[in-house]
Amino acid sequence: MAGVRLLGLTKRFGAVAAVDNLNVEFPDAQVTCLLGPSGCGKTTLLRMIAGLEQPSGGQIFFDHDEVGEWSASRRNVGMVFQSPVVYPGLTVYDNVALPLRGTLPEAELRQRVGEVLELVELQAVAERKADSLGNAERQKVSVARAVARRPRVLLFDEPVTNIAAGERVTLKRAFKRLTTEVRLTLVYVTHDQTEAMTLADYIAVMRDGKLVQYGPPRSVYRAPRDRFVGWFLGNPGMNFVEIGAPGEDGGSLFSGAGPQLKAPAMVGFRPEYVEVLSDPEPASIEARVMRAPITVGGQHLLTLKAGDTTFKAKTDYRQTYATGQTVYVKIPADQLRWFDPAREELSPPVPGDAE
Amino acid sequence: MRPKLKTRLQQGFLWLVAVAFFLPVLWIFLAAFKTAGQILAVPPSWIFRPTLQGLTYMASHQAFWTHALNSVVISLSAVVLAIIVSFVAAYSFSRFRLRGTDFMMFVLLSIRMVPGAAVVVPMYLMYTALGWINTYPGIILFYTMFSIPFSVWILKGFIDGVSPRFDEAAQSDGASRLHVMFRIVLPQVLPGIVAAFIFNTIFVWNEFLFDFIIGGNQVATIPVALASGLYTSQGIDWQYIASLTFVYTLPLMVVIYFFQKYLLVGMTFGTVRGEV
Repeated sequence: MAGVRLLGLTKRFGAVAAVDNLNVEFPDAQVTCLLGPSGCGKTTLLRMIAGLEQPSGGQIFFDHDEVGEWSASRRNVGMVFQSPVVYPGLTVYDNVALPLRGTLPEAELRQRVGEVLELVELQAVAERKADSLGNAERQKVSVARAVARRPRVLLFDEPVTNIAAGERVTLKRAFKRLTTEVRLTLVYVTHDQTEAMTLADYIAVMRDGKLVQYGPPRSVYRAPRDRFVGWFLGNPGMNFVEIGAPGEDGGSLFSGAGPQLKAPAMVGFRPEYVEVLSDPEPASIEARVMRAPITVGGQHLLTLKAGDTTFKAKTDYRQTYATGQTVYVKIPADQLRWFDPAREELSPPVPGDAE
Repeated sequence: MRPKLKTRLQQGFLWLVAVAFFLPVLWIFLAAFKTAGQILAVPPSWIFRPTLQGLTYMASHQAFWTHALNSVVISLSAVVLAIIVSFVAAYSFSRFRLRGTDFMMFVLLSIRMVPGAAVVVPMYLMYTALGWINTYPGIILFYTMFSIPFSVWILKGFIDGVSPRFDEAAQSDGASRLHVMFRIVLPQVLPGIVAAFIFNTIFVWNEFLFDFIIGGNQVATIPVALASGLYTSQGIDWQYIASLTFVYTLPLMVVIYFFQKYLLVGMTFGTVRGEV
């Protein structure tokens, strides 16, 4: 296994920069999820690391080896694609064993393949033809083939996107097991944040070819560096309220909570941290329920309006809400994030600025 | 009841047409089992006692064995060579998608759009200059060239149907480009290989003009033998012609019968998929 370091990595297609001057290090033996909306360049980045795409500029290091000029076969990476790739006509066992043939003695090969098949729970179908399996199991075969070689870096490109929803769970469980039981340098591309949150040691959020934020899932989630990350992570994303000046607009909602506002500010807060009360409490404000559909997990996703400010809140399933109902909301001050409204970036808390 | 009768009449008619088309073939096949006298009998003798006289007579000619061997050796080696070259070419066309790929594919096929009669004289002059007239490598290379365009077209269609992800996965798994081509992609386009093989074997097996002009005694194939060298002092040797035609046509018919489905996918350049 090896860490992956990217230095000024760039890929242009014509005038468009799919990946734009990326500098980042994906640590050894950790799972890094590349997260971002479709077309943000994450797949292109992965393909460059794999050696399937030539960078327009910049360098790629595996530990201390600069691999930019190396062919895909020399880089010793394991790649899993969106659509499962199995070699037709071969059994599951042979599919996994094929790249190892000639590199290992037979006994060792047998053991290695057996271990990996066990890890992804495919022992039962080891002697079946790989192309006779369903999509999820085929994908497991391609994962097993990539892992069995013990590559320096494993690269997964949205491996569950083309799998039927019902089968995804088994596949994700297999990935989780894989990442907890084997120490892997895994770069995992996804646009599904739940996947990223459950698998990743580190998350790299990309947008328009640029790396927006990089860090452990929890800290990225709690302190999004800009409005985009806040909106993109979370379901639904962060609420943002622009405050013209103290006391104006929804200002009352956050009065006294933030730094002393000298200029217009933007505050962000996650819907799940909004406390919705049926009776007024100190520091709560009145809001009206605009819509109250039920979400996955049975929670209510309320759209609330306080003054001119509309925002979302996630609440307990036990309460019921009617449209038009009046409720009282409170947002814990430590859950508010302050953004610079012009650049839409997180304002670092300045000591002494907060009261 | 009525519609059933109608269907039967239609089917009967179609059978009649089919038989009418097959009649000349049947006639020459039957002639292969007749005596020389029976072949030219007027009125034609439909009922006769089959004899192997014609076939044994043909087999006693040394020339027959030469021609038959030439046909087999030249067709097979030319087509096999062509398919190897075409597979590599089709793979490159399919995967590397250089600018102008479509145009190059068109140019390739245009070789086969030119009527043979238009190029046979220049070919003859070239072959004379190269000293390739009446040589095996010369005629085999010609037929290889002759077989490449269709093979590339057929195979490219099939290779396009194999996702490039296979190549990429195999490359990440450490495979070389050649390994990818022959161990990963080739097994998946076998129907295309069979189709290309049959197609071109039919073409080359039946080709007459070029073997006649740029070939010669040494490399004469059966079609050339049929058209020339059968004039005996008593006129045309119909018994020999009938036997030779029978022996020459039969293997091809058998092969085509058993590989019909591949022929279909070949004609559609691999775009009708899943049936094979």
